[in-house]
Amino acid sequence: MSVRPVTVRYAGYALALIAALILPHIIYPVLALNIIVWGLFAVAVDLLLGFSGLLSFGHAAFWGSAAYAAGIAATRGGVSFPVAVLIGTLVAILLAIPIGYLSIRRQGIYFAMVTLAFAQMIYFVINQWRSVTGGENGIQGIPRTLLGLDLSSATTFYYAALPLALIGYVFAFRVVHSPFGHVLVAIRDNETRARALGYPTHRYKLIGFVISASLAGLGGSIYALGQRLADLEYARWTTSGLAVIMTILGGVGTLWGGVIGAVVVLLLRDWLTTRPELFGVATGGVFAVIVLGFRRGILGTALHWYRSGRPDAPIRRRGLAAARPDPTTVPRVKPEKGGR
Amino acid sequence: MSVVQLFNGLVTGSFYALVALGLSIIFGMMRVVNFAHGAFYMLGAFGAYVLLDSWQIGFWWALILAPLAIGCFGMVLERLLFRRLYALDPLYNFLLSFAVATIIQDAMRLRYGAQGKPYRVTSQLLSGVQHIGSTFYPKYRLFVIVFSILVCVVVWFLVERTRIGMVIRAATEKPDLTRALGVDVDRWITPVFGFGVALAALGGVLAAAMQQVRPSMGEDLIIVIFAVVVIGGLGSIAGSVVAGLAIGVIAAVGEAYYAQVSSTLVFIVMAIVLLIRPAGLFGSVEGA
Amino acid sequence: MDGLHATNERDLGRKGLTRRTFLGGIAASAAAAILAACGSGSATSTSAPAATATKAAGAAATTAPTTAAAATAAPTGATAAVTKPAGSAAASVVASKGPAKLSDGKLVLAVLNDQSGVYADISGKNTTKLVKQAVDDFMAKYGKDVFGGTVEVIEADHQNKPDVAGQKANEFYDRNQADVILDVPTSSCGLAVAAVAKAKKKMYINVGSATTELNGAQCNKYTFHYAYDTFMLANGTAPLVTKTLGKKWYLVYPDYAFGQDMVKSFTDAITKSGGTVVGTDPSPFPSSGDFSSYLLKVQSAKPDIVGSMHAGGDVVNFVKQYNEFKLRDQKINLAIGLLFDSDIKALGPDAFQGITYTTAWLWTLDDQSRAWADMAKKVIGVRPTFAHAGNYSAAWQYMDAIRRAGTDDPDTVVKELEGHQFNDFFARNATIRKEDHALIHDIYIAQVKPLKENSEEGDYSKILGTTPGKDAFKPDGATGCTISA
Repeated sequence: MSVRPVTVRYAGYALALIAALILPHIIYPVLALNIIVWGLFAVAVDLLLGFSGLLSFGHAAFWGSAAYAAGIAATRGGVSFPVAVLIGTLVAILLAIPIGYLSIRRQGIYFAMVTLAFAQMIYFVINQWRSVTGGENGIQGIPRTLLGLDLSSATTFYYAALPLALIGYVFAFRVVHSPFGHVLVAIRDNETRARALGYPTHRYKLIGFVISASLAGLGGSIYALGQRLADLEYARWTTSGLAVIMTILGGVGTLWGGVIGAVVVLLLRDWLTTRPELFGVATGGVFAVIVLGFRRGILGTALHWYRSGRPDAPIRRRGLAAARPDPTTVPRVKPEKGGR
Repeated sequence: MSVVQLFNGLVTGSFYALVALGLSIIFGMMRVVNFAHGAFYMLGAFGAYVLLDSWQIGFWWALILAPLAIGCFGMVLERLLFRRLYALDPLYNFLLSFAVATIIQDAMRLRYGAQGKPYRVTSQLLSGVQHIGSTFYPKYRLFVIVFSILVCVVVWFLVERTRIGMVIRAATEKPDLTRALGVDVDRWITPVFGFGVALAALGGVLAAAMQQVRPSMGEDLIIVIFAVVVIGGLGSIAGSVVAGLAIGVIAAVGEAYYAQVSSTLVFIVMAIVLLIRPAGLFGSVEGA
Repeated sequence: MDGLHATNERDLGRKGLTRRTFLGGIAASAAAAILAACGSGSATSTSAPAATATKAAGAAATTAPTTAAAATAAPTGATAAVTKPAGSAAASVVASKGPAKLSDGKLVLAVLNDQSGVYADISGKNTTKLVKQAVDDFMAKYGKDVFGGTVEVIEADHQNKPDVAGQKANEFYDRNQADVILDVPTSSCGLAVAAVAKAKKKMYINVGSATTELNGAQCNKYTFHYAYDTFMLANGTAPLVTKTLGKKWYLVYPDYAFGQDMVKSFTDAITKSGGTVVGTDPSPFPSSGDFSSYLLKVQSAKPDIVGSMHAGGDVVNFVKQYNEFKLRDQKINLAIGLLFDSDIKALGPDAFQGITYTTAWLWTLDDQSRAWADMAKKVIGVRPTFAHAGNYSAAWQYMDAIRRAGTDDPDTVVKELEGHQFNDFFARNATIRKEDHALIHDIYIAQVKPLKENSEEGDYSKILGTTPGKDAFKPDGATGCTISA
């Protein structure tokens, strides 16, 4: 493995930024913004899954509640859009603290199920609390203003919201590459050892959880304003599932893979609006092909090729007992363990 | 609330138990969180419909033939698809099973329409209502309770008291050791997968007479079944059955008193159980 | 994995980073290129697959009840004949180009509805076919040049997701130059599109949604609500059923906006006609498909009528279990808030036998409706639902308003539609109310016939009575709508 110059890394970022800047001129701007925020959502999920080894199946709670909070703030409070986004994100954080506190004590599939359980409760509250949330009809026609500027054009709003989303992306990057992020990875790989080394693992995991939830909340808030709509569907378990799918499709543990996953899923969904007869067949087919053919996810496979210089390196298949993941793939979520 | 509401809870519960049982067995043996389980349940219901509609084969035969056919289909899928990903993180098989579920569900929608098809039990024995106290209760539903519990007992017997069951239990709990002792675990994987799928399909056949047979019938069920399995303890047979019945009854009580919450109740129960007993009611606490 | 490994991982992570991000950039730009290729992939199809001349002419005759012998308006050489009826003030302005002035040279009608979910059979792709047919028929009647440009019909599946509906609506208006969006079933989707129409100041005629919010609190200048709503469903069914079947009602409703609306409207209507509601029960949303708990509660409450306020697949399950529990034998009748032909088809007419419901239209209504339904069956292969008919009618009325106004400018067309009175095969004694943009028209109370009385597949119900529009819909000023006058 030869060391690459740092300039290459920055070239990569520059390219990504250029892509983000020209995106609304290539595809429909509303769709472009959706890709940016769903990508952020998937990055939030990967932050937890790839770097803490925790699969959350309840992130829709943060995405949805932030969307509603931002929508209500903008509609009833008449606040400008960055303030609404901030309020939405804060609500997600406030919810994440108790939910995270209770959930991080479990691992693997149990963690996934506890987060799902809390998300279903949030879903229930949003549906029932009609006077505030509008129930299943949701909050429609959310206004978006900034210092009296007209942000009704989708393209204008894209550029107005992009910096906020980029803050989220940069934040995620900083977290992963900070000492804190490295401790998270250490905990993921061996929690007992990390604790023995003196790290308060629960506190680290909780902070990781809250950060992830805040990014999901940031994405959800912008999504609500971008769509001018907060809907019950945002808080449904299928939304959590969609974010997880984007993450896996992109590549778990790659951080940016979720963006690629978001591109695939959202373009597919958009394309299918005119081909309803293919709805499930196409979605299922694409997922199956990616899972079977590109096990590291799209970005994960690309990185793997790049690193090893050859197509998909053999994945060990030694039967069930020897089931160990290829170390270069994902951290194994350990469903067989029942937490502590 | 009348006693009959409890029967209702038992009916719902016995479905949960049957389907959860299959899911639990598959998880225990293969560590596959099978999202397609709901789709297999739905296929079971369509199996019953097709048997009656195309070949005039009635309910009793459907009870045997449909699970058999769907179970075989499950084995084919296991051989062709799921097998490839055992070595990887279970996440991958979860996503694959999600893809399979989506494709199956959509194929059925294209063939039979989103609204689905009606199914009616032709047997005279099971039609009509039974007087219970001052109210009436459909005979068919009473049959469902008895039959499902019977199946659960048989499965329990198979797993706890036969040689095959011993292998399954050993492979579930200590796969490495089982293999080291010279047991060919891999040989049993496909049949066990098929068996789990057949149980889901059996649930579907039973449901066909009570609900419209439609492609989306397994979609919202599966997430509840996940919760049931986790509450019972992953891989635990008794756990799935007990949790299934308990959740059914709790949901029925919930519907009687505060209907809005009944669909959320299962998740509240799950959160509480997991916070108190990390591995579910009957799961063994091992590892970290 | 041990600590050593973790340490290595950390170091490797730093080195790997450069390549990772580099590739990320490449992948992102590659993705952008792919997007360019397929981003604009929205189905656009012109009305080219035209019907045969005879069919079109025949249909034109049936669809234009107020104009006799419309079939004389042959496609060719009809321009002169057409200009005359269209001779409003605007027509002279654009005399050189044609009778009507299109802002962008073409007229685009966009159908946005559920094409893959449970409402696909009620409306779905068949609605698009019929809207195309409406365009052909309209042109057959008024001449190919009636708009001085081409007419396109485009469509998309909103997958019953409000965010998809909103995004598609934006795209239709912005990218596909859609002049009007039609249909949009599912209330939350319907409302999402209304918000978009308001923001874009573009026309939107909702046919598929039942929510009164569309012409109530969330109404706007560019949104029209055609066909039906929850209030009218209750006001048709409740008085008649209370009069004929009994006064004690028990209502079971799905616990979301539509169900809440329905139970409120029904309770009001029942009380007003002298009945009482002895109990209401919300069933969870999304439902488990099992309503037996509620049926048991109904059984012990012993009302005269149980009302199911559900929609789609839930109705079918409710009815199936109603039959399973033999509530009819216990003298508990069933009334259904919203029933579509596709529901009846799904379970078979016998299961629904005797059930009373309200509908905006029925194809067996009279000769005129039957004639239209015959035409529609040739186009879509099945008997049309009221949603199919409503969309055809809405498209026709929209095009006719453009013809009369001589322009497709939304503000002018809105003015032209407001207060417009008409009769067509679908809407009788119809007025488009100025105050809230609701279509006020006669509605029908129907009863499901047993299978043996069905003359053919799709002939499920007979009409028991007609409620005039002014009695069926919310009265003027009571809708809570504030379209600025």
